[in-house]
Amino acid sequence: MADLTLDHVSKFFDDDGSKVVAVDDASVTIEDGEFLVLVGPSGCGKSTTLRMIAGLETVSEGQIRLGDDRMDNKPPRDRDIAMVFQSYALYPHMSVRGNMRFGLEESTDMADGEIDSLVEETAEMLGIDDLLGRKPGELSGGQQQRVALGRAIVRDPEVFLMDEPLSNLDAKLRSQMRTELQRLQEDLGVTTVYVTHDQTEAMTMGDRIAILNDGELQQVATPLEAYHRPANRFVAGFIGEPSMNFFQMEVHGDTLADDSFTYSLSPESEDAVSGSEHVTLGIRPEDVELVADGSADHTYETTVDVVEPMGNENAVYLDFGDESRFVATVGGMRRVEAGETVYAHIPEDAVHLFDASSGDALKNRSLESVELAEPEPQA
Amino acid sequence: MSVRDDIADQLGVDLEGFDPIRVVLYGTLVGLVAFYLSPLESGLMTALKTEAEFATSPPFVPPTADGFTLEPFSVAIDTLASAILNSIMLAVPATILSALLGSFAAYGLTNFEWRGQLGVVTLFIAGIFIPYQAVLIPLSRLWAIVNTKELLAPILDITLFSVQVPVLGTVELATHPHYASIINLIITHAAYGIPITTLLFRSYYKKLSTEMLEAARLDGASAFTVYRRIVLPLSTPMFAVTLIYQFTQIWNDLLFALVIIPSGSGPAAVATIALNELTGGIIQTFNTQMAGAFVAALPTLLVYILFGDKFAKGVAGEA
Repeated sequence: MADLTLDHVSKFFDDDGSKVVAVDDASVTIEDGEFLVLVGPSGCGKSTTLRMIAGLETVSEGQIRLGDDRMDNKPPRDRDIAMVFQSYALYPHMSVRGNMRFGLEESTDMADGEIDSLVEETAEMLGIDDLLGRKPGELSGGQQQRVALGRAIVRDPEVFLMDEPLSNLDAKLRSQMRTELQRLQEDLGVTTVYVTHDQTEAMTMGDRIAILNDGELQQVATPLEAYHRPANRFVAGFIGEPSMNFFQMEVHGDTLADDSFTYSLSPESEDAVSGSEHVTLGIRPEDVELVADGSADHTYETTVDVVEPMGNENAVYLDFGDESRFVATVGGMRRVEAGETVYAHIPEDAVHLFDASSGDALKNRSLESVELAEPEPQA
Repeated sequence: MSVRDDIADQLGVDLEGFDPIRVVLYGTLVGLVAFYLSPLESGLMTALKTEAEFATSPPFVPPTADGFTLEPFSVAIDTLASAILNSIMLAVPATILSALLGSFAAYGLTNFEWRGQLGVVTLFIAGIFIPYQAVLIPLSRLWAIVNTKELLAPILDITLFSVQVPVLGTVELATHPHYASIINLIITHAAYGIPITTLLFRSYYKKLSTEMLEAARLDGASAFTVYRRIVLPLSTPMFAVTLIYQFTQIWNDLLFALVIIPSGSGPAAVATIALNELTGGIIQTFNTQMAGAFVAALPTLLVYILFGDKFAKGVAGEA
């Protein structure tokens, strides 16, 4: 068992003579037993990265190492990895048993009986032992998904690679499999790289998440770190649902201004933005408070445009009276009607500031007011 | 009450669901079936008649009790037996070879990426459109230069073949030196069949899931193992298509056989050539000709029956 290292890995494709950069100088070390989620919008290079680790794509520049072993020049079969594909990629003419045996038959010298007992053991663990005699075509999507997982697990590889394995399942099954997959990975302790575009999966499953955009690694951090301390505007906007609200502001000394409102800054924030003329102010919807009157600082009169009730909470789309809209989430029991005038409080300690041109975070929200999840020690 | 119900009552039948357009449609269809089957029916009836009966009755009328005979069939079988065995010895290996090689080629041309691939595919496609006639002279020159019998002498003495057939006794298949030309014919047909079989397999292999083949590679399988354990078993429907298509082509071929088998007829003749021996000289014996045609067509029919359901799947593009 060893760490998986991506060392300045790049991938270029040749598109009729012009060079297309799919992955640009990505470096990350995935620790032994870690669950890393690669997340990003479609076309960001996350699948290409995974395929380079698998050996299905060549590495244009840089190295991939497992421990101290360089593996980017080895063929896929010698890399000791197992991959779960989005389409499951089961062999349709083989039974479930045949599908799960295949890898062991091809990559090891194990005796038939040994293979069979391993397959049966794994099938039992996944609850598919009664399906061993069936063909993939006779299974439901969820069952096929389990077989695909079983096929990877039974090989006991150094690294699991998963390419959006849950995206073909319906919503309910997906959340169920999400938990199960996480539990499995914890039990097996196998280093896992998991690709998804679904930020819920990214937030809930990974030990760490790596956010990619346009082939560039934006941030590698724990899910909460990425959520509360995003490295840049892209990460801030990508993680979280509904997305963070952004306002393009001009810096005037200790205040920020745009066409609709002005925002006064604390001395600390003023320091952070001192070098920039234009900044982006970001605020998460749940940090926007709807208050009764507009007398306090950082409180603005707004009109409710649309309310999206979700049961547990309401997403309230607010309007400064012109085109600039932003979202606030309030408790599900709170009644807000479209057309109503409300006062939105944008607390200073929850505000993120980003450089308008580079997008880099200048100041992230303060975490002092965030409650710790750890329970109080019992007296 | 409508007019239709009135009529129904008077006739005492239920006309529910009766549709005049349907009657016309079925009438036309039955007519078309009769039209298309009539040559076959006439052929069969002719083959079951004596020559005298044939001369006095229209071809499609079944034979009378006096005019009925199975003799044309026994004559045809006697005359064609060894030629049909030759044809089987030709068509079976040539069909299997061209299907198998086409499948290999398609796998290499479709599921792998390499430089210059498209050029090779283009050559294969161009190969389909070369007419038989255009290659006749080079082909006969080639087989005049290559002495297959001598080339194969160290591994195979092809004059020694003889086959025991239960009904017909010993059939000396290969005591004639020209028998080597059957091997020439096998190679020619296999080669000529490869472009079309490759194209058929290629269109089929394009639809195979790339992820599945990648999964097999990650599972530790080599390119050839992926072919043997994944691609080949999944190609059964397409094999049915190519086997039927190639078998029919090769079995019915006359042109290559005439050119490559030097004596034209003789012990090495294939069924299509031997059919000519049933014409009966100056007086045309239509009954033996018809019986011969049926006997010669039987193997292709059998192949269709054996692989028919797989053929249908392959044509429909099911995996």
